[in-house]
Amino acid sequence: MTARKELLLSAAVVVLFAFGPWISPLMHLDVSIVSGVLVIAIAVMSVNLLLGYTGLPAFGNAAYFGLGSYGAALSVKYFQVHFAEAIVIGTVAGLLGGLILAPFLLRRRGIYFGLLSIAFGQVFYFIAYRYTDVTGGEDGMQVPRPLFVLANAHATVSDFGFYYVALAFFVIAVIAFRTIVRSPFGRTLIAIRQNEPRVRYLGLNTDRFIFVALLIASTMAGLSGALSGLLINFAFPLQLDWHQSGYFVLSMILGGAGTVWGSLVGAFIYVIGNDIISTITSWWQIFLGALFVACVLFFPRGILGTLQALGRAPQAFGDDDVDANAAFDPNAAGEAGRGV
Amino acid sequence: MIEHLGPQLFNGLVLGAFYAIVALGLSLIMNLTGTINMAHGSFMTLAGYLAYTMVLRKIPFGWALILAPLIAVLVGIIVERTLVRPLYKREPFYSLLMTFGLSLMAEEAFRLIWGPNGVPFSPPPALAGAASLGFMQFPTFRIFIVVVLLIAIAALALFLTRTRFGLRLRAAVQDTEMIAALGTNTQVLYAVNFSLGIFLAGIAGVLAGGMLGLSPTSGNNLLMPAFVTVIIGGMGSLFGSIIGGLLVGIAISMTTLFIPAASEVSMYVLMAIVLLVRPRGLFGEEGIFG
Repeated sequence: MTARKELLLSAAVVVLFAFGPWISPLMHLDVSIVSGVLVIAIAVMSVNLLLGYTGLPAFGNAAYFGLGSYGAALSVKYFQVHFAEAIVIGTVAGLLGGLILAPFLLRRRGIYFGLLSIAFGQVFYFIAYRYTDVTGGEDGMQVPRPLFVLANAHATVSDFGFYYVALAFFVIAVIAFRTIVRSPFGRTLIAIRQNEPRVRYLGLNTDRFIFVALLIASTMAGLSGALSGLLINFAFPLQLDWHQSGYFVLSMILGGAGTVWGSLVGAFIYVIGNDIISTITSWWQIFLGALFVACVLFFPRGILGTLQALGRAPQAFGDDDVDANAAFDPNAAGEAGRGV
Repeated sequence: MIEHLGPQLFNGLVLGAFYAIVALGLSLIMNLTGTINMAHGSFMTLAGYLAYTMVLRKIPFGWALILAPLIAVLVGIIVERTLVRPLYKREPFYSLLMTFGLSLMAEEAFRLIWGPNGVPFSPPPALAGAASLGFMQFPTFRIFIVVVLLIAIAALALFLTRTRFGLRLRAAVQDTEMIAALGTNTQVLYAVNFSLGIFLAGIAGVLAGGMLGLSPTSGNNLLMPAFVTVIIGGMGSLFGSIIGGLLVGIAISMTTLFIPAASEVSMYVLMAIVLLVRPRGLFGEEGIFG
């Protein structure tokens, strides 16, 4: 796939989403649901960077996501900040969470990394859950969407307006993500997933690469969380819970691990699917669980990964690194079980 | 405050014994197959609810304590054979994700069968009172719990060190291919190992139901402390799981006494401190799990 074709396809997707507010009513979807897809896709990208590209089981990204949401909500509630400032504060909160946890996480690999991510991520859940006076505890905190202030102009951000804010951030995130994974840095991350000892023998300090990857991922998850909190005007402890991390990982697998656009596809299926199922039945959790099981057993490459494997995929929509999916191929996996 | 110290310390040990036994089951499964069993809590809840139903049907508590975990083991074997086994050859996070899905389904199923709220599951009358330990009074049921859990741990230790099968199991943890080459059916090993883990979880589930209450999420509430326990004790070490569990239990009970608001966070602080001093956990082995 040529660079030109890739650009055209990507542009087509963005243009399609630019008409989202007019398309979504045709699908009987509220525009804020589609905003949710774009916002969650950023968080899924953060998991994709760590798990899909670097091979680290990132089961704690909800911590940064929730920190973003709480960062935005708390700063609006207690310091009356404006819309743009709330986004920045939430994003920085996610980054700070990453800075705190990264030194612990990057010491380990494989399932040990996964276990540490789950356990450490849960700290923030309990803090939000326990400090009821500040955070509203289990019920969470409702915060009205702040005004958008530029110079002397004040404006409220409608759901319609928010959609384009979300789209703008999503486009920035995709471009940044693609740039990162195609850069020498991103290539090194892929190499770490494929064979970390070899990368070390080449003289690279892999811990340092993973540290930076963790910071990038926590920033992205923080941004996603901040936008998500502002979108639903609500911050609640379950945003920080490891269940949420699991949903991100599932979305990533559904879309296609190690593919640039897989995050959007996965987020789309997860958010829209959840919305539809939860309106049809109150047993949605059974369906969601079954989706996990079925996806892992029968569909581990995800949609874009499968398309790519069939050779029909527009390569631009996947990653030109064919091996990216080989690691997720059940038949190609070598050493079983053990973490490293 | 100080007069509560003794009972609270003992409470912490009881709680710690729970964490230890859940962590033991998790570790068994994790060490051999690299599977992080997120559905472990669901098996505990399942055994708890089964025992609750049995006691309602006038089956003695003692029988329920054995039968309910055995039924959970039966379910576990089916799950292992059909769902977990295909994943052994894949990246470990797949089985984590799959068992996570199972726990979501199980939680909803419990809600549908036994109702969304907790059910009252009180210990049998014979164990209901309080016993004198000489220096303090303590609920009989909790003493019973400690005794049962100690027996379970001792039996596990004997099984792993004194029986041929246990030796094979430990050998398989070190080198599965070699033990297969020497003529051991590793599929059977995996199944028995999984069952052992589930059986421990089942016993803990029944006892925890009587002490901490029974609800669709009650087992999962014990899962996170058990993870922390495994990390503190060190992955790959069963002995570490026991010590780690007791440490976590004491840490939680002490902070509950002195700083109640920090009771959940305390174990994570403990975990962070342990990892700073010993990145592999207290008894974690060199080279295992990176």
